[in-house]
Amino acid sequence: MKLLKCPINGTRPLSEFIFGGEWRDMPNPDTSSDLEWASYVHYRDNAPGIKKEWWYHSPSGTWFIAERNTLTDEVLATYLYSNPPATNVEEQSA
Amino acid sequence: MTELIKTSPLSDAQKMMKPLMGSHRGMEVALSFEGPKAEQKHKTILGVTDVSCFARFGIKGAKAGEWLAQQGIKTPEALNTWVEGAPGTLVLRLGMSEFLVEDQLIGKACAKLQAFDQANIQSAYQVVRADAAFVLGGSEVLNLLAELCVLDLRDSVLPSNFVVMTQIAGISATLIRESLSGEQVYRIWCDGSYGLYLWEILIEIAQELGGGVVGLTCRFQ
Repeated sequence: MKLLKCPINGTRPLSEFIFGGEWRDMPNPDTSSDLEWASYVHYRDNAPGIKKEWWYHSPSGTWFIAERNTLTDEVLATYLYSNPPATNVEEQSA
Repeated sequence: MTELIKTSPLSDAQKMMKPLMGSHRGMEVALSFEGPKAEQKHKTILGVTDVSCFARFGIKGAKAGEWLAQQGIKTPEALNTWVEGAPGTLVLRLGMSEFLVEDQLIGKACAKLQAFDQANIQSAYQVVRADAAFVLGGSEVLNLLAELCVLDLRDSVLPSNFVVMTQIAGISATLIRESLSGEQVYRIWCDGSYGLYLWEILIEIAQELGGGVVGLTCRFQ
């Protein structure tokens, strides 16, 4: 059974979670160029590696961020968007 | 003029069992299904009771806890825990800033909370609750829960004041363990639209394990 740790509710089976897509920095829509905005809306970097992703724990309605290595499917950290760790895993491994 | 009365989300299934009906807080409820002797036996082995008729009030937002405190309702400090917030009233903290207040048979807090006036309150929002709610008790209750939930819910693992939000029989549900008249029971809440499904599953497994349905009268006598 695959498990994922919700920052509020603890470790639960993956069946309790819904994938919400990759988290990416949104450019300011008022100041970004059309090229930057189109890139944000339409392009995805599908190269395997450590990604920040939105995940949703459906029984409690909790959205959170998971940092996951999409090559190995290893989850490195989970945390609330409003409460990120001091140094995230992506920065540590860079 | 005909007085409107609410029905339990499980009403259709229950009426087929021809229970003795009554009402509680404006909701039609099944007081007894099979008579006191049979229900007392179920209660000892594995009894399932519908308590959807209990009054509930939901609230969320950064100042939800503060507003409840102003109304004289004690709230849990830790995430995902519950307390008796007023005499006969449970208060569950669901995650960080959402609360479920539920009057038990004798509680009276929810009627007062219905005076919540959204127009004059900032950062607190009422959550409309339409739950199906259950009480499960008896010597076989953990065997039933083991069939429906992947979490270990034994007393030694689940502290008595914890609130667990997980999937039970594949649907999202909230669960606590509490003491009811000295008996350890589990309380389950789920969305009312799933109530009938969960009721049928619970009854089916309870009957397989030698238990069955318990009416409100037998559960709270």
